[in-house]
Amino acid sequence: MQLGENISIAFLGLIDHKFRSFLTILGIIFGTASVIAMVAIGEGAKKQAIAKYQDLGVSNIIVRDKDLTDNELEEVRMKFSKGLSFADAKAIREILPGVISVAPQSEIKLDAKSGDRSSKSTVIGITPEILEVLNYTTEKGAFITTDQYDRQLKVAVLGATVARELFSYENPVGRSVKLGDQWFEVVGTMETKALFTETVGELASRDLNNDVYIPLSTFNKRIPKENQYASEINQLTVKLRNSDELIESAAVIRNIIDRHHFNNDDFSIIVPFELMKQEEKESRIYNFLLASIAAISLIVGGIGIMNIMLASILERTREIGIRRAIGGRKADILGQFLTEAVVLSISGGIIGVFLGVFLSVGITWITDIETSLTLYSIIIAFSFSVMVGITFGYLPAKRAANLKPIESIRHE
Amino acid sequence: MLIDIQNLKKDYLMGEFSVTALSEINLQINKNEFVAIMGPSGSGKSTLMNILGCLDTPTEGTYLFDNMDITQLDDDALSAIRNKHIGFIFQSFNLLPRMTALQNVELPLMYAGVEKDERLKMAKASLEKVGLGDRWRHKPSELSGGQRQRVAIARALVTKPGIILADEPTGALDSKSGIEIMEIFTQLYEEGHTVLIITHERDVAACANRILEIRDGMITNDTTNINTKIGELSLAN
Ligand SMILES: Nc1ncnc2c1ncn2[C@@H]1O[C@H](COP(=O)(O)OP(=O)(O)OP(=O)(O)O)[C@@H](O)[C@H]1O
Ligand SMILES: [Mg+2]
Repeated sequence: MQLGENISIAFLGLIDHKFRSFLTILGIIFGTASVIAMVAIGEGAKKQAIAKYQDLGVSNIIVRDKDLTDNELEEVRMKFSKGLSFADAKAIREILPGVISVAPQSEIKLDAKSGDRSSKSTVIGITPEILEVLNYTTEKGAFITTDQYDRQLKVAVLGATVARELFSYENPVGRSVKLGDQWFEVVGTMETKALFTETVGELASRDLNNDVYIPLSTFNKRIPKENQYASEINQLTVKLRNSDELIESAAVIRNIIDRHHFNNDDFSIIVPFELMKQEEKESRIYNFLLASIAAISLIVGGIGIMNIMLASILERTREIGIRRAIGGRKADILGQFLTEAVVLSISGGIIGVFLGVFLSVGITWITDIETSLTLYSIIIAFSFSVMVGITFGYLPAKRAANLKPIESIRHE
Repeated sequence: MLIDIQNLKKDYLMGEFSVTALSEINLQINKNEFVAIMGPSGSGKSTLMNILGCLDTPTEGTYLFDNMDITQLDDDALSAIRNKHIGFIFQSFNLLPRMTALQNVELPLMYAGVEKDERLKMAKASLEKVGLGDRWRHKPSELSGGQRQRVAIARALVTKPGIILADEPTGALDSKSGIEIMEIFTQLYEEGHTVLIITHERDVAACANRILEIRDGMITNDTTNINTKIGELSLAN
């Protein structure tokens, strides 16, 4: 008997029992859908994680002051280290091969105020080089210019959250904000950036949208230091021509600064690209785990198919006997029931794919959890569901094929 | 010779006991015979017919069908013989309830690998032969008992089998439908078919040209019937 005919027989059999067929594939539907939704959630988390490293720059190396206690700070100062300084930046720029730019910055936590509104922010003093190392695009207005930097103007660019908290949806450009006890003119606002929810290396977790950027020159002149031991700057962002030599370059940088700081261990080096690769690897394991849990539900769905097929074969024993009596071979019966299982699981798989896509989109829509649908997850979920159907359909089909013709035709 | 059975024995194993359903059966049937098998309930008629129809296998003895040794064949070969050479008709019709008359008749051709167009033509011709050319769309539940049995006969005939085996084909029918069915069998016999029926009714057996009597699993009587009743009927017509 031809395959096409087997399929049409299987379809007839299944359409005759619409409701039962639907119940049979329910497990497959939910199994497939949950594999797709779970992977979409995992992929969404991964995408978000990667985005935050991209905000730090994948060909950048970050050098930061270590977070030291006052006592430790006093000790390293006694041992001649001045902490991070413009001299360090200059040394890196001159010695490190393949360097494009070095951007120093200082930062301090201050409340930004406008009228009676206030927003907790991190004020960051930057140099114009920042635009060479990071992709800082403003949403409104313009970023701080070299001219503004040179003239040590009191201008500020607000992070998206600060702008919203202080000015709601009005345009902040041209308005004034108070940082500490100093008034600044807002010249621009930043686009919303990916959330920084975890600590990245030595970078404490922070929301980049709470940043307020001002010229470093102004920062050093106008913003009081935290204490007498504070270093000249807090961070250096080094941009390299390519990301192939990040590890080697990081070692060179460590060497240079070690020498400048008289081997005091008062700074740390962060390579975002390396952290990103590591996180990617971790999230791959995490995704695999998520998918495996969902796959178990798919297997349970397969057991459902087996269960109901066994019952259906018992009920259709006489039909099997009749088919055998008029010349159906074992292989024909096996084929018929296996085809039923395959048709069932393919239908379940298709419905499951739609449900899974619907769920993934729905999750983002309702809960704000980012999901990311990928073709590979859909293909894997679908083929896995079909495989489960065939595997669990085989046993009942084999049993049907092996029924003795004479006994099954006598079956009441 | 179409069928040659030597020293056939059939035991059913019931746990520790074994019930002997047939023993010392020797039987030869030629092409174009019309044989009726009679005997009390439980005497082994159905058992014999199931073995003849390759649905069941004997415990001992040999069975040659068209010079093929049936006892030596594997399951696929037996299926092929049931498909091509044997037309089974049951007391309870045994049609597939969810299929139409036409689909039921088509089924053996499907297993024989006949193409769709050819299959439809043959199935329709077969239904016409039993007088149901206009009922092919109906499902078994929409047909009378006599019509259902005629669909079953059409299904048995459609592969042009060497022998037609009918186990009490009129057993579930009223006498009028029973006569109609017997007329079909007689016609088939007259066309050159080999027909074997099991019956409890003398008048039904009277249609055949040979009557076997079975008692306690053994053939006790084998008589030739010269004056077949339907033969008289057709003469009267
Ligand atoms: N599957 C079976 N298992 C055990 N014993 C069986 C089986 N089939 C038939 N028998 C026994 O074999 C004997 C013959 O049974 P069979 O069905 O051939 O009788 P029969 O002549 O067709 O009777 P009836 O006229 O009632 O149909 C009976 O004693 C029956 O109980
Ligand atoms: Mg019987």
